[in-house]
Order: sequence, then C-alpha cells, then structure tokens
Amino acid sequence: MRAHLMLARKEVLEILRTWRICVLPSIMLLFAVTGPVLARYTPQFLGAVGGSPFASLQLPEPTVFDSYGQWIKNLSQIVIFAQIIMYGGIISSERRSGTAVLVLTKPVSRTGFVVVKAVVHAMYLAVLLVAGTLATWCLTAVVFGQAPGGALWSSALLWLVTVVTYLCLMTLFSSVIPSAAGAAGLGLGAFTLISIAAIWEPAREYSPAGLPGVAASLAAGVDVEVPFWPVMSSFVVCIGAVGLAVAVFRRKEL
Amino acid sequence: MTAALETLGLTKVYRGRRVLDGVDLSVAEGSVFGFLGPNGAGKTTTLRLVTGLARPTSGAVRVLGQDVSTAGNAVRAQMGFLPDVPAFYPWMTATEFMHFSGTLFGLERRVLTQRTRMLLDTAGLGGVQARIGGYSRGMRQRLGIAQALINAPRLLLLDEPTSALDPIGRKDVLELIGSLRGRTTIFFSTHILGDVERVCDSVAILDRGRVLTQAPIHELKARYRRHRIVMEVTEGADRLAVAIAERPWAVAVASSDTGTIEVTATDMVSAQRDLPGLVAAQRAGLVRLEAGEMGLEEVFVDLVGRDNP
Repeated sequence: MRAHLMLARKEVLEILRTWRICVLPSIMLLFAVTGPVLARYTPQFLGAVGGSPFASLQLPEPTVFDSYGQWIKNLSQIVIFAQIIMYGGIISSERRSGTAVLVLTKPVSRTGFVVVKAVVHAMYLAVLLVAGTLATWCLTAVVFGQAPGGALWSSALLWLVTVVTYLCLMTLFSSVIPSAAGAAGLGLGAFTLISIAAIWEPAREYSPAGLPGVAASLAAGVDVEVPFWPVMSSFVVCIGAVGLAVAVFRRKEL
Repeated sequence: MTAALETLGLTKVYRGRRVLDGVDLSVAEGSVFGFLGPNGAGKTTTLRLVTGLARPTSGAVRVLGQDVSTAGNAVRAQMGFLPDVPAFYPWMTATEFMHFSGTLFGLERRVLTQRTRMLLDTAGLGGVQARIGGYSRGMRQRLGIAQALINAPRLLLLDEPTSALDPIGRKDVLELIGSLRGRTTIFFSTHILGDVERVCDSVAILDRGRVLTQAPIHELKARYRRHRIVMEVTEGADRLAVAIAERPWAVAVASSDTGTIEVTATDMVSAQRDLPGLVAAQRAGLVRLEAGEMGLEEVFVDLVGRDNP
C-alpha cells in the first residue's frame, strides 16, 4: 500500500513539475474565463462590427445557459482532443525512456504501476474540471447577474464520466502501442468513431457515445433524464480498458 | 556454498534469433561474480531475464532459492539493480529519487534518511541539489549504483557499472564493490577485463549467447596457463621465429619487421633453457627479453577468438 501511495505521489509531483501542469489547465482556464464573457457579449460584438453582414442579425438575448453550453461544448471537443494527445504516452513514455525499468525491478507490481497512473490522472482531470467549472460559474454570475448551479454541475459531472472513459482508453492504447503518437492517433480515431456513433440511437441510448449530447442538453437548461445506461456502460468501458491495459502491460518485455 | 543466482538452460529467442542459448550459471552467495563478454554477447539480456523484465523462451532463473517467474515481489525485495543506461525522472533530485526507491522497498523513514545520506556521500553526490535532468552520464551512473544499494540487497546486479565513469569514478566504484564482498552477492556484467581481474572472485565468459567457461579466476588462469615471451633481436628475426615455432613448448610465434618476436609458451622452464641457444644459432644479438604469465585478457581473447574463427 505504501508503495502504491509513493507511486501516486510521484505521479502528482510529475504533473506539478513538468509540462503537464501547463497544457490542460491553460486550455481549460482560457475557456472558463472567456466562455461567459463571449456568451454574454457576442451580440454586441457582432453589432459593433460596422458594415458587417452580422449587424442586421437579430440574435436572441443571451442567457446563463449559453455560457454553460459554451463551456461544455469546449470541453467536449477541444479539451478531449488535447487530453487524447497528452495521454498518448501515459504508459509507453516510461517504457521508452527506461524509467519503468528502475521502478519495476523494485517490489512494485505492474498492475499497481498501471492502475495508479489511471487513478491519479482521473483525479487530476476531476480537479481541473471542478476548478474550471467553478470559474465559469462565478464569472457567469458576475456577467449575467445570476447563475443557477444545477444545470452546470450536472452537465460537468457527465463530462467527467466521458473524459475519464477516454483516459482509460488512452491507458489501454498506450500499453499496447509503444509510440505516444501512435496511441494518440488511435485515441483520435476512437473519438471520431464514438462521435459518429452518437448519431445512431441505440448507441446514444446505451453506450458512452450518448453522454456528450445529454451533457450539452443539461447545460442548455433542458430537463433530461439521468442517462443511466451511458453512464453504466462508461464505467464498464473504464474497468475493461484498464483491466486490459494491465493484462497487456504484464506481458510486455521491458 | 549455496547459489544466490542460478540459471538453468536459459534460452532467449528474439524474432528467430537465439540471443541466449542454454546458459547455465551458478553464482555463490557472497561472491563477486564477473560476467564477461564482448558487445552483443547477451549479457544485458541475461540480466533482463534475471530481473524479470523479460521472460525466457526456455530454461529457468532462480534467485536466492526462488524461481523469478513466480516469486515476483519476494525476489525483487532482495535485489538491487543498475541497468546499463539508468534512466531517472529528470524533474527529481537525487535525494528524492533515493526516497522514492526506498519507499518502494518499504523502508522506514529514519532508515531511509540515513541510508540516502550515506549512499549519496559514497557516490560523490552528497549535497548536490540539482535536478537529475542536469546530471552528466557519470553522475547518473553513480546515482544508479546508490539507488541499487538503498535496500541493502542480498543480490546486487550491475550492468556495465563502470562504463560511463572517469578513472577516479571507476576506481571508487570498484572499491565499493570490493568492500561489499561477503555481505552481498554481486553479479556484474562488463567488457572491461581489468575490472573483473581486480575485484571478482569468479567469472563467466559469454559469447554469442553461450557460456564459454565459468570458474574462479585463479582456476581459470591455471586452466589456461600460458606464458608470453617478447624478445627483440638485432637481426634474423624471421629465421629465429621459424626455429622457435618448431619447439614443442611454442604454441604461437609472431615476428615483426622491427625484430620483435612474440611467443606464447606452455612450458616456461623449457623456453628459458632453449631460447639463448636458438638466438646464438642464428648469430643474432639479443636486445630485449621479457616474460610473464598471461592475464585474464589473454584468456578472454583466446577463448572468444577461438570461438569466432
């Protein structure tokens, strides 16, 4: 147990002391800060562009749900995209650099090595999500004068399930493919396939493909049912992907 | 004496190529064991199999009486390992890495702090606060040795431990290895024969995946006992070389244009008795005559060279 806690501590320190602390937090902070402002003032911005064809457009009065929708839309596209690229080397980078050799010749199981990484980075994503959502929530309250929390936080929670699912898939891909770029490519392929699958109703109803749509609806203030099957199937995918990653990594020669 | 490390018919095949071919080794507990071989002989592969980083195609590895393939953490807890090119987290300091390593071994904080300080001082890294990313290759190698000792291992496996070190660093590491004799079993691979001759009790010579010989060093030298004679004459070196080659004690004779003749002899007494007469018979003047026993280097070259026609 102490060894696993030490591995977790190492992962946390690695996030804090390397480029990992810059990439996702910067992107998410940018969207968290600019989202509410853009949502509130976009009609004015367009109207202020003199001679612009947008000047004659009559846009509806923006609401807090536009701000929330902006946040969830950015998370579901650009942030997941960045996350997939970032986690292409979550396992393989240690294998390629040779650092895994010094760790795994000590009394540490390969299972622990993989699972600790997945858990710590899932927690890291959760912390980033909470911080970003909190920033969006506060700024929305400042800009719009009100900010009901239910819609924003419930949609953010669903997004967390989605992003953790992609993290687990990247853990698997990075265990299978020795190259970070190769694993990221496979991750982007999976992202595209899952996005396309959402068009098909059974996939939307029963698989993780349905989560982004429900999250977007919740953020828009639409009253929707809890997506039980997409959430459950996401958990199954997470456990299956990490389990498979462990099985693959245990067989790898270092 | 019991074996700290044993390999039985260890074979590894990579993509159809037999990298190790039925390697049988037995390393006595408490000994310093040199694992010699030219580049590509299979030394690193053997160590990867011993540490469990790779799996053998066939055969078995037993460490401290336990099978490596099934014992897992129980074996690793008693081993220390330095890879040929140790890779560290560049954002850590040496102290942090030592604490990280020690905690993985389950060491108490007090013991860990003491050992970290002592080992880093021994490795010449005491007081170095820089992150490992800024270390030279030699500093990394020394940190690699320090971290391999953090758990006071019963079996210390070192893959080319002196290869990246300057002469002083090399001397320090060899002295450190020598000082551990009797307390820890040390198995180290190298292609530097001088290092083996200096600190090892026993040696195995590996070439193209096969063990050519394994024995205590003194026994190995006795087994391949040869004497090397270098002589320089004023004239007629070629004719003299032919005459020497006809003697029964002469194994190999080589002459050069400068009048130097190198002779490998099996019987030094006969050679000493015959050589003055041979030189006189050729009416040559003797400029220089040196004689000595062949070292491990010659044994190694002889064995490996014989295996690689």
